[in-house]
Amino acid sequence: MWFLLRILIGSIFLVSSMGKLLTPYQNFLYVIQAYQLLPSQGEILTAQIFPWLEFIVGVFVLLGLWTPGALKGAGALFGIFVVVVGQALIRKLPLESCGCFGEWIHLKPQTVIIMDSLSLLLTYVLLRNLKSVQKFSLDSYFDKV
Amino acid sequence: MNKLLSTLVIVLVLVGVLVGVKHFLAPKKAVINLQMARAKGNPDARVKIVEFVDFQCPACAYGIKYLKTFFDQHPNDLYLQVRYFPLTNMHHHAMISALYSECASRQGKFWELDDLMIPDQSQWAQLINPEPVFQSMAVQVGINMDQLNTCLASDDARRVINDEKSLGQTLGIVSTPTYFINNKMVVGTKSLQDELKTYFPN
Repeated sequence: MWFLLRILIGSIFLVSSMGKLLTPYQNFLYVIQAYQLLPSQGEILTAQIFPWLEFIVGVFVLLGLWTPGALKGAGALFGIFVVVVGQALIRKLPLESCGCFGEWIHLKPQTVIIMDSLSLLLTYVLLRNLKSVQKFSLDSYFDKV
Repeated sequence: MNKLLSTLVIVLVLVGVLVGVKHFLAPKKAVINLQMARAKGNPDARVKIVEFVDFQCPACAYGIKYLKTFFDQHPNDLYLQVRYFPLTNMHHHAMISALYSECASRQGKFWELDDLMIPDQSQWAQLINPEPVFQSMAVQVGINMDQLNTCLASDDARRVINDEKSLGQTLGIVSTPTYFINNKMVVGTKSLQDELKTYFPN
């Protein structure tokens, strides 16, 4: 069953990235600005690059391709989300929604920090159970070839 | 095919497909309608701004106040046009405030009503029914109340608002305030300020 959780994690990243990639990057830039964490140029760069990172990580995790590295990437992204949303909550920034899924899904920062923390934990557990996680994966296919 | 090569092919194909879809869905450009009542400034100005707003959105109120001050400093260098983008799923009074604005604009009183509605946004946004406040504002700015109420009851004003929101959606707008400065999309007041600095460095 671990491979199903791998697919779930991959799907989360894919949905999240699509919501940002299929609309003008300025919409995600507006979300990033609300977190008041980066200088202007850093915000623009992040708005343009970050959704592609999520997309690549999502595809690799979903397909089970280079699974250990992809899961570590997913864990790193979840870690970043926890830190970014956490600092916003500590600073009491006025965020109506986390903005994590573009405009497709609206989640409150309090909800999303719990989700991201659990996902981070889940990613760690998946890394500890790589053999069953790689069931029905491209990794297992290439290992057999 | 070895694993590394397969990975490269998969990534290139998926990125290619996504770039293709993104290109297919690419928003159109915002068109400035010079005849519009919700516009002010110099139609020949080098900086033309189309502003998509929800009158109940706090960030929009901040943006409108910022632009008003900026406009007063550069009256001949700017042309500003307001379009509706009520976020009705988030703000209960988004549509009714837009309706009052549209009906005021039909009597040439859009900016006058805007000047009263925006500074008091935090008050009327809390009310269950803000209409008595809007009616009182309309009286203050000298709007003909019979014409206003006829306009409010008609479907036409609502249709104009919904059409503008649909236009905004085709332009890729998902949140407010969204501006098009000389057709370049910027979202939020911080980006607006940054973009205006490129035209007015001092």
